Amino acid sequence: MKKIEAVIQPFKLDEVKEALKGIGIDGMTIGEVRGHGRQKGHKEVYRGQEYNVDLLPKVKLEMVVSDSRADEVIKTLAAAARTGKIGDGKIFVYDVKEAIRIRNDDRGESAL
Amino acid sequence: MGNPHSSVGRVTIQQEFLATGDSVRALAQQTAEVDHVVTEAASGSLFPAAPAGVALLAVGGYGRRQLFPYSDVDVLLLFESENLALANKDAIAAFLQRLWDSRLRVSHSVRTPSECTEVHDRNIELNISLLDQRYLCGDRGLYAKLVEKLPRFITGNRNALIRNLSQLTRERHSKYANTFYHLEPNVKETPGGLRDYQLLCWLEQMRNSEPSRLAAAEPAPELQQAFRFLARLRCYLHCESGRDNNVLTFDAQDAAAEQWKLSDAAHWMREYYRHARNIYRAAMRQLESNEAQSSSLFSQFRDWRSRLANADFSVHRERAHFRSPQALDADPEVLLRLFEFVGRHGIQVSPEAEQQIEARHAKLREWFAEPRPIWPALISIFGLPHAPLAIRAMHETGMLTILFPELEQIECLVIRDFFHRYTVDEHTLVALQNLWSLRNAQEMPLKPYGDLLREMQQPGVLALAVLMHDSGKGTSGEGHVDASVRLAKTAMARIQTSPQHREMVVYLIQKHLELSSVMQSRDLFDPKTVRDVAHQVETVERLKALTLLTYADISAVNPHVMTPWRAEQLWQLYLMVYNELTRELESERIEIEASGPPQRLEFLEGFPTRYLRTHTEVEIDEHMTLEERSRRRGVAVDVRKLESAYQLTMVTTADRPGLFAAVAGTLSSFGMNILKAEAFANRRGLILDTFTFTDPSRTLELNPSETDRLRTTTERVIGGKTDVRALLRNRPKPSLPSRNARIQTRVVFDGVASSTATLVEIVAEDRPGLLYDLASAFATNGCNIEVVLIDTQAHKAIDVFYVTAAGGKIEPAQQQVLEQGLRRACEPLTEPRP
Repeated sequence: MKKIEAVIQPFKLDEVKEALKGIGIDGMTIGEVRGHGRQKGHKEVYRGQEYNVDLLPKVKLEMVVSDSRADEVIKTLAAAARTGKIGDGKIFVYDVKEAIRIRNDDRGESAL
Repeated sequence: MGNPHSSVGRVTIQQEFLATGDSVRALAQQTAEVDHVVTEAASGSLFPAAPAGVALLAVGGYGRRQLFPYSDVDVLLLFESENLALANKDAIAAFLQRLWDSRLRVSHSVRTPSECTEVHDRNIELNISLLDQRYLCGDRGLYAKLVEKLPRFITGNRNALIRNLSQLTRERHSKYANTFYHLEPNVKETPGGLRDYQLLCWLEQMRNSEPSRLAAAEPAPELQQAFRFLARLRCYLHCESGRDNNVLTFDAQDAAAEQWKLSDAAHWMREYYRHARNIYRAAMRQLESNEAQSSSLFSQFRDWRSRLANADFSVHRERAHFRSPQALDADPEVLLRLFEFVGRHGIQVSPEAEQQIEARHAKLREWFAEPRPIWPALISIFGLPHAPLAIRAMHETGMLTILFPELEQIECLVIRDFFHRYTVDEHTLVALQNLWSLRNAQEMPLKPYGDLLREMQQPGVLALAVLMHDSGKGTSGEGHVDASVRLAKTAMARIQTSPQHREMVVYLIQKHLELSSVMQSRDLFDPKTVRDVAHQVETVERLKALTLLTYADISAVNPHVMTPWRAEQLWQLYLMVYNELTRELESERIEIEASGPPQRLEFLEGFPTRYLRTHTEVEIDEHMTLEERSRRRGVAVDVRKLESAYQLTMVTTADRPGLFAAVAGTLSSFGMNILKAEAFANRRGLILDTFTFTDPSRTLELNPSETDRLRTTTERVIGGKTDVRALLRNRPKPSLPSRNARIQTRVVFDGVASSTATLVEIVAEDRPGLLYDLASAFATNGCNIEVVLIDTQAHKAIDVFYVTAAGGKIEPAQQQVLEQGLRRACEPLTEPRP
């Protein structure tokens, strides 16, 4: 099993969700986060006062999928989240040791 | 070992109920059935062991003969003495076992008459359940003793009992967030549910009881009707789920609608909310009036508040009363004054006044259905510190839909999805509350929204937009935005909203989803996104109002939607669009289009595009007339009264350095306070400047001839016939700002924003004559003001100037000198600067 973590642009969330739904991925955790990578923030002046916008709003998606599906999910996710500009985000992939469904103690991929 | 009588009886009762929907009959039948089982069990197991000194009483809902199919059966075993009860322990156990075997959910208590007549702070239910006691079987003499003591006990301990009951109720209400607008309510426990109906009965009983007899409760007919409605639902839920289930889920709502062939579930749920509202409001009135009576500290405050009374209203116990309810008949507008009173002082309407209003609903509806100029009164109510409370009071007295019948369609309307927590009308009221609570926001990320709201010149216009923004949700067949706009237009025509405000409200409703949709689906850091939004909102005023409306709308969907993250995003969007709007002031110029009368095109050519955006067709026509007038003498000035300020418009072709400053100075010399100013110039060198100002000493209002004198003086100053410095010499010295002097002067130069001019943004403490001083500082430094946007918020002036020097941008060296001059101009003065 793989855990796929993606930090994407907020306005791409709906598109990414739709694309993942299209390949049968329904379950995911979504968080509102702030951050920046190499795309640093910028300054806005408002009424003579400087606003530093160094942490940009992003959305973080997390999902765990079976090994056999990981590549497909990553491809779909990347394609849907891409604009080609700086700030599109990143995808991280981790190995997952175990998954347990709390309700009935299912283990492994059947718990996904 | 089930009791065949009981289960068979239960099945028949339930079948009959499901067919007829008659819950009153079902409850009575169920009670009779259980009576039968209980008395039989008692004669079989209890009385043989204890033939005297024991009586059985039905209490609680069972005592009231309102036993729902799966409710607990509350039985009180009244024993003459504790010893007798102890001696019969086995018989009691056998009796209860028989009841359990009959599948009754018995909840029993064993008490002596004296235990029944003590206040039990930790077991309030026992005390209260006795209000509904009913004799079943056993020792009548013993029962008679209790019945004799009970009224004296209740009347003697009334206050303690009511206090305990209130506390219990408050705790229950807070579990349900103190609102009855739950999309999946618990028909028993939710505020406005059956429990609250019972509360009303108990309070009435306790209040009216005398030491010699217990009173019976007779709730108002609409409450009894509400009870029957809720009882039917609860009975249905019990039958359907086969247990004591009281939660009206979406599924149950659909199933019940189908069972009794009601219209769609969302529709009849509105009926549910109407009934729940009746019960809840009646219960709250009772609770509050009882609580108010028992708090001495509160009554001191109350007395202090009663000094707020005026000719129309008196204040008792923190509630507003009509001095003369008959005034409502003679002058229905007294109602508007009542809501103004509520909005100003935060004092709620008394139950008596509510009833007096309700009794006149038909007449009032008729009166307010006529087109009447009530907008000035409404906008002032809508702009008050407690406006949301005033609007809620309108809602609660039924006046909101009388003033705005357009809102009837969304009363108690359910939107079924996972996000919405409230009905549409409640959403609207919560949106207003959330918006107003921004006034006190001191921390990020909400503080800037608070600033925006405080800066609104007419918050009442925004409030009207919030009130109407979802009014179209109850209509089908057209989009809700279009429907809301249509309804708002009808309402505004009736209440005779000024065209300017009408335009703003329509715009806000039309676009109320725009910013959230941009936030959700567009890249905020793409310049095109920002430009597109800027083109849609067109002016800073609209952007501010739309941002606030968006905040209010999102935050009222449910309490968790407006996260700090989202608030920051919306603010980011505001910021970027704001900068776009103020920085493109000068860059875009109107180009001639092929159509339109030639004079008009000639006039418009070369004005900044902003001119078209900020002026209506009518205003442009007026400006053209003014321009024609100016041809004779090279100058024309117009002064007119706006709703809350005045406006001076000047047109001239004789531009010269310091012209703008001279006009600003003239206004100051008349004691006027400039709020806003804009300067435009077209390709032919025509100067068109507008100044919006207030008249703090009411000079123009009290001396009609002064308006003419202001106009001619301005014309003379522009024409160079009068020296503005001479005029200013006669002005009294402005007083120094004291505690309000908190605003730090900022002067920021931006050489990039515009291709031809330098942008100078100045934030300073506002004071009379400031604009004149700033404009003079530019003029004395050889700068020419190309475009200017002046804005004043409270005592803070935010001025953006686009200036050129020698036909180009200002050089860095010159900037330094200029900055010093501008900072000096911003300093508080003790005498006018020459």
